Amino acid sequence: MDATSSIIISVFSTSSGSGKTITAINLAAGLAEEGYRTCLVDLDLQFGDVMGYLDMVSDFTIADAQQAILRNEDKFNVDDYLTEYKCGDTAFSVLPPPREINDAYLINVEAVEKIIGSMKGFNFVVLDLTSVFSTLNLAMLDMSTVINFVGVMDFLPAVKNYKVGYDTLLRFDYEESKICLVENKADSERYIKARDVERLLGTKIYHHLPSDPQAITYSIRMGKPLMYCVPLSPLTQSFWELVGRYTNRTKKSRIASQPAQEKKGKKKLLSWLFGDDDWLTAQNMK
Amino acid sequence: MTKVTYRVILVERDRDMLSRMAGMLKANDAFDLAATFHDADTAYGQSSVFRPTLFLIDVDEPGAVDMVPRFIKSYPQAQILGTMGQWKSTVAEAMLSAGAGGCILKPFNSTDVLEALKIYKRRGQALPTRTLALFSPKGHSGRTTLATVLAIELAQKSGESVGIIDADLQFGDVAMFFDAVPRHNVVEATHDINLLTPAALENYFHPVGKGVWIMSGPLQPEHAELVEANRLIEVVRMAGCLFRYVILDLPVGFNPISLALAECADTDILISMLNSGQEVRHMKRSLKMFHMWDAYGKRVYTMFSGVKNCTDEHKRKLEGELGRSVTLMLPEERRIKDVTGSGRLMKDLPENTPFVEAVADFAFALISDRR
Repeated sequence: MDATSSIIISVFSTSSGSGKTITAINLAAGLAEEGYRTCLVDLDLQFGDVMGYLDMVSDFTIADAQQAILRNEDKFNVDDYLTEYKCGDTAFSVLPPPREINDAYLINVEAVEKIIGSMKGFNFVVLDLTSVFSTLNLAMLDMSTVINFVGVMDFLPAVKNYKVGYDTLLRFDYEESKICLVENKADSERYIKARDVERLLGTKIYHHLPSDPQAITYSIRMGKPLMYCVPLSPLTQSFWELVGRYTNRTKKSRIASQPAQEKKGKKKLLSWLFGDDDWLTAQNMK
Repeated sequence: MTKVTYRVILVERDRDMLSRMAGMLKANDAFDLAATFHDADTAYGQSSVFRPTLFLIDVDEPGAVDMVPRFIKSYPQAQILGTMGQWKSTVAEAMLSAGAGGCILKPFNSTDVLEALKIYKRRGQALPTRTLALFSPKGHSGRTTLATVLAIELAQKSGESVGIIDADLQFGDVAMFFDAVPRHNVVEATHDINLLTPAALENYFHPVGKGVWIMSGPLQPEHAELVEANRLIEVVRMAGCLFRYVILDLPVGFNPISLALAECADTDILISMLNSGQEVRHMKRSLKMFHMWDAYGKRVYTMFSGVKNCTDEHKRKLEGELGRSVTLMLPEERRIKDVTGSGRLMKDLPENTPFVEAVADFAFALISDRR
C-alpha cells in the first residue's frame, strides 16, 4: 500500500509496567502483517526494550539519525537508520534508541520531530513512549494521529495515575476522539471493575486486552511478536482486533481478503515454525 | 506556673542580638538564663560553674562548629543548638555530625527554641542524617513499596523518625499507600524553602503514624515543572534536621531530579523487578552512572524485587550477570500489593512475610551502620 502521509500511533501510559512496549510491538507486527508499511520507534531513550523483546541488534540508532538530520536535512534518508524486523513474509522497520544512556541525554526534541516527520513513506508509525509527560512525549503526542493510552487497572494507585493522565491529556487540549483508552490485563475476576473505571473517567474504554502473562513471557523469550509464537492466545486475538480498529478492517475481512494459496502459504510457514497444527497457546506451551 | 526546664548558656558575638535574645529567654519561665558570652571559646571554659542544660551557640562565628565535640564531652548533660542569621544547610549538617541537636535561626523567640528542642528530641540520636535515594531504571519495580516498608521498619526498629519525600513528581503514589491526603506537597515546599526553618518545614510533611512522615508529590503532573532540583536538594537537606532517616522515592530513569537527588543522598538503592528478563541489562546500564559515586565512598546497593526463587544459587547467578553483589532479593508478595493498593500499609503491614522480613533485616543493618 502506498503511503503519502503516515498514521502515527503513540503508545503511552502514566504507569510503568502497563505493557506499552508489548502493545507497540504487537501493533506494529499486526499492521505489517496486514500489509501496511510500518515503522516502530522506541522512544524510551534510556531503557528501551523493543530491541531486547525482538532479539534484535542494530548498527544504527536514533542518535545516528539525529546526527545525520542535523548535519544535512535535505540529504537525510530515514531508511538508512532503520533496522528491519523480519518474520516469514512480514517485516517492519525499527528505529532503536541510543546505545548509551549519555547519548539519550543528547537527543533533541526538534530533531526527533523532524525524523518522525520524515517517515512519510510509511503507512503507520508506532511510537513506544515512556510513562511521563516529558517535552519529548508531549511533542510526539502532538504529532500523533491517535494516542493509544494503555493502563492496567488492577491496582488503585495505577487507576489514580490513569485518571490523572487522562484528565491531563484533556487539559492539554488533546481531542477526546484522538485518545484511545486501552485497558491491559483486563480480567473479569479483578476487584476493580472496568465499568467503575469508566464511571471514574467519564468515558468508555476503547479496547480491552486480556491478561496472558505466560504468552508474553514466551514471546519475549522467543524474541517474536505474539502472533508468531502464540497465535491462538486470547491476547493475540485481542491485538488483532485492536489492529482492525486502527485499520478499519476486521480480522475476518483480513482473512477473507487473502487468496486461498497465500493463506495456505502462511499456514505452511507457521507450521514450519511450530509443527503442523500445534500452534502454541499460553495454556499448552508449558 | 511553668516548670523551669533549661539552664541556658547563650553565646552570641553581636551585642545587640545577644541582648535581644537574652531578653526573650528571660521572659519565659521555661528558661533560666545562666550566662551569656560573646564567643564559644570563653563559654566553653567558663560554663561549668553554671551547670547548663542547654547551650545556644552562635555558629556564624568561625570555629564554633569545631568546638561542639568539646562541649559535648565536657557537658554531657547539656543539649546544644546552633544559632544562625541565615539558614546554611552545610553548617546545620556539620552541627548534626558534630553531635549537636540542630540549629535555629536568630533572632528567635522562646517558642522557637522549645519547638526546635521538641523536633530534635523526636528526630532521634544526635547523629548525621542517613539520606537514602531509591532509584529504578524502569517503573513497576517495587520502588515505592520498598521506600514505604523500609520507612516503617526503620522507624519501628530505631525509635527515630523517618521522612519520605515523594520525588516521583508526576505520578507519585506514596500518599495513596498510606491513605493520606496531605495539605501540602513538594512543589510548595520547594517554592518556599528559602524562607523556611526546620520547624516551618515540618508543616509540609504529613504524619502517617509510628514515626513516619511523608511529603507528597504534586496534585497535577504539570506542576512537576515547578520543582527546581537545587531547591529540592535544600528541602532534602533541611528535612535531615527533622528526621534521622530521609528516604527519597525518585522518578523513573535518569532526569535532572533523579540525578541531583541520587548525588545528594549518602546511600543509593537501585531496584528493579525481575519480569521480562531485561532487568539485569537495565541495572548494568544504570550502574555505569552510579559507578563514579560508588568509587567516592557513597553506598550503592542493588536490589531485585518480584523474585520467584529467592535462593543463594539464584542470587549468585544474578551477581554473576550483574558483575557486582546483589544486596537484597525481595520475593513476590501478594499481601503487600493488597495493603499498598488499598492504603492500609501502616495498619495492616504483613510483618511475618518473607518480603517484610527481608526489608526489616536491611533496616536493621542500616540502623547498626553495617550498611
